[in-house]
Order: sequence, then structure tokens, then C-alpha cells
Amino acid sequence: MSESPHFLQILVQRPILRSSLLLAIIAILSIYHLDISLIGLGDMFSNLLIITNDAWPPDFSVLSDRASWAYPPCNLETDWMCSPAVLGMTQTLEIAFLATIFGTILSLPLAAASATNISPPLLAQSMRQLLAALRVLPSLIWALIFVILVGVGPLAGVLAMTMYTVGYLGKLQYESLEGVSREPLEVARTMGLPRWQVARYFAIPEAANSLISQMLFMFEYNVRHGSVVGLVGAGGIGWYMQYYLEPFKLYDRVLALIIVMYFVVIIIDQISLRVRIRFIDENELVRKSKWRGLIIPQLDSSDD
Amino acid sequence: MKDSPILSVCSVDIGFERGEPLIEDVNLELKSGEIVGIIGRSGIGKTTLLRTIAGLVPALSGELKYMGSESSQVTKGEIGLIPQRLGLVQHQTVGYNVLMGALPQANFFQSIFSLPSTQMRESTRRAVASVGLTDKMFTSVNQLSGGQQRRVAIARAMVQNPKLILADECLGELDIQTARDMIELIRSLAENGSTILIVEHNPVRARTFCDRVLQLRGRKLISLVDDIEESSELYLIGGANQ
Repeated sequence: MSESPHFLQILVQRPILRSSLLLAIIAILSIYHLDISLIGLGDMFSNLLIITNDAWPPDFSVLSDRASWAYPPCNLETDWMCSPAVLGMTQTLEIAFLATIFGTILSLPLAAASATNISPPLLAQSMRQLLAALRVLPSLIWALIFVILVGVGPLAGVLAMTMYTVGYLGKLQYESLEGVSREPLEVARTMGLPRWQVARYFAIPEAANSLISQMLFMFEYNVRHGSVVGLVGAGGIGWYMQYYLEPFKLYDRVLALIIVMYFVVIIIDQISLRVRIRFIDENELVRKSKWRGLIIPQLDSSDD
Repeated sequence: MKDSPILSVCSVDIGFERGEPLIEDVNLELKSGEIVGIIGRSGIGKTTLLRTIAGLVPALSGELKYMGSESSQVTKGEIGLIPQRLGLVQHQTVGYNVLMGALPQANFFQSIFSLPSTQMRESTRRAVASVGLTDKMFTSVNQLSGGQQRRVAIARAMVQNPKLILADECLGELDIQTARDMIELIRSLAENGSTILIVEHNPVRARTFCDRVLQLRGRKLISLVDDIEESSELYLIGGANQ
């Protein structure tokens, strides 16, 4: 009887214990509600053993053998250039690149319209809802939708990734635009410039370093997720994985493709990180304009 | 020329929607080509007064008229602002920032495709030369000194050539020679026909180049006496503390 009040006293005094207890209760209730049983875990280990036996060692013929069944067909002479790994990875990079470019072009005006320091509150709120709606569906679901709409192939992948990019990048962009200094925008407003000119010539150039850094981050993200959309037929390396998985269950080749993808993603991440640091390094005494000439080249060359 | 009012402010209360007005019953009339200084202690509402006249903060009551028209009817580019931190686009060049002053003159095609006209380029080049920054034309403004950045802001106003320029402490923290150069540039803007309303924290300096000096005191905007000694005294013992 004497221990119970003591325990409660400790619980009241230490907020971390209270929070931990609350989280533990929610976790137990969730497991109970989802009807999760440990039998599933037993199945997982036995299946993992079967897959590991089938997958190891990885079959790197995916890097050398011609994929005659590739879509779109590969007409190059060299076999390794038409191999599933090279074709799949090239397609994934191309899908990611196109989706990032199209996504950025579409998201930038939407982001400017969503930024409360540029747009009227009602328009900003509406545009934010639109961007949130685009983000609700993950890229995989967008891929399923576009495979139904435009058929199997890289086009569905590009469209799916573009839609997701617009929603995700748009949010990052409007947050950057809202963070720009108030004074250049006030100078523009006092001049009587329309909102789109305030955004184009004052807010976007002021936030340009962040915007470019975000675009590169989005490209990295799209390369990683480009493999997933292929699983539902939207092109890229995922499509080649799916080919080996169903109906052949060639796990050794799938593992080889995963290893290739891993190394490509690591390389892309490293390159992107190094480039992004040039735009986001706040420790520089003078942060140079790295983006000049990319967005408004004509104005820059006007005074020579 | 000096008789037609560029700005008339009648019984205007200034402040923010929630809370008491910062400044009450402001009455002010600015003539063409005038340089009018506003002094007062920090936090009294000088910047808010300027932002209200710029149309960035709505007046709580009263009437603001630009050349006899409501603020919503002001032609593009007729009012220019030089904020305290200058409002330059930090990652862009001197040329770009000065050219921004010509943006109100650009037509839709020119502004959508970023194709400034020859006249806009020429006026930019002239303005940059007149503030002595020709060799810095392609330098990012964040690589310039404070004084040079102020000259860029003045050059932008020159290109814009507005009827009314609102300048917020653009002479603050400058050495004597740089401040003198800046005053000359401000005078040249007025000589070109712009009316200048400038917030200045130093009443003695304000008297040296302003046609009139007004002081924010309590919650009122009052016209300062035309006596430089008294102004100096106000700054030292009263003006700066009230």
C-alpha cells in the first residue's frame, strides 16, 4: 500500500515518465486494435531465409546482358548499354530529371501565389490547399492513376513524379519566399508594381539560393522514388525489377538491380549535396549570387 | 512648380489596427521639389508614418491624397521608397538593382521576358555613373560597403524618377564625407523634381539640407522652429528623449 503513492509521486514529479507511459499505452492499444500477432513475425523470418537463399549471390548479368524485352526498345549496338540495369537506371534518372524540371516550373508560380507576403490571404490559402491536395497522394498512387490514364511506360512516371514534385516542392518554396526580407518587397509595392512582378523581380531573386538548393534536393528525392513508381508500370528501374519479380521470381537479379541503384543513388546524393552546399552555406562572409543568369539573364547583361 | 501639393495628409491617425494610434491628427502638405525632414526619438513611429504614406500600412482615419488623387489611383512608379535597410535584392548586381527602378516603365512584354528597353538600360547606366559606381556595375550588392549600398538605393530612385521619395534614415551610421555625398545626391533628386520626405535622426544635419523639419513629439507631428541652435538643443537634451 505504501509503494503505490510513492510510484504515483515519482510519476507526477517526472514529466518524461508520464510521457513515456502515455506513449506506451497508445502503442499497446494500437497493436491490439490492428490485431497484430507474433505469428506473422515467424513467417517473416522463414520467408526471408527463402528469399536470401534465392537472391544470394546477386546475378550481375543484369549489367551485361541485352534486355530484348526492354520498353521502350533499345536499339544500341553494345549489349551492356541495353542491359536492364543501365536502361532502368538511365530511365529513372531521366524521369527524375524531367519531373524536377516540370515540377519546378509549375510549382514556382503556385508557391508565389501561396506566399502570404506576396499574395492576398484568400488566394494564398486556396493555393496552399491545392498544394496540400497534391501532397496527399504519394508518388506511387499518382503512378497508378497515370498508368490507368496514359498506359504503362515512362510517361506515366514523369507525370506522377511531376504531380508529387509540385505539391512537395511548392510547400518548400512558399516557405522560403515567406522568409525573404520585407523591405525589397515594400520597395516594389510602393512603386505600384503588380504582385507577379513583386514575386518575379524581388521575392524570387532574393530567395533564389534556397530555391535552387530545394530543387536539387527534389531531384535526389525523385531519383530515390523513381524506382518505386516503376513497380506499378510507370517506367524506370522499378519496372525492370517488377519484370524479374513477377512471374519469374529471379531474386538474384533483383538484388543486383537494387545494388546498382544503391550506388547510383549514393553518387547522386553526394554530387547534389556538394552542389547544394554552395547555395546554402551561411558561414561565408559574403554569400555570392550563384544563380545569376539562370533565371533572368537578359537583365544582367543589360549594362555592358 | 513648388505650389502644387504632391502629398496632402489631412487629420490622419497612424498606427496598427489593434491598439492606440501611434500618431494622431497628422496634417501635412508637401510641395513639388521640397525636401522635408522628420525627426523624433526611436520607436515613436517615424517609420510607421512613412509606411502609411507609402500605402503599406492603412491609415486608421483621415485622408491621404497624392497629387489630388486617392492612393489607389496613383500612377505606377510615382512614389519611391528607400527603407532603412535599403530594400536591395541582396543576391543581385548593382546594375540589376538600379534597373529595378525602371520596372514601372516596362510594358507587359518587356517585363514578362525580362527585356529592358534601350532607354531603360541607358538611364540605369547614367544613374550608376552619377553615384560613382560604374566599376561596380556587375558586383553583387552584398559585396559593397554600407555607403555604396546607399548609393545604389539612391541610383534606383534616380532611375525611377518618382514624384515623391520616402527615405527612412538613409544617412544613418555614415561617416561625415559619405553623408555629405549622400546629401548632394538627395539634393540632385529634388532638383530633378522629386519631393523628398526623409526620416533623419540627427536634427542638426536635417536642418542643413531640408527645406523644412518636422518633429514627432508625443503623438503629434509638429513643425520645428527655424532655429538651428534650438534644433541642436532639442537633439541634445529634449528631441532625442521625447
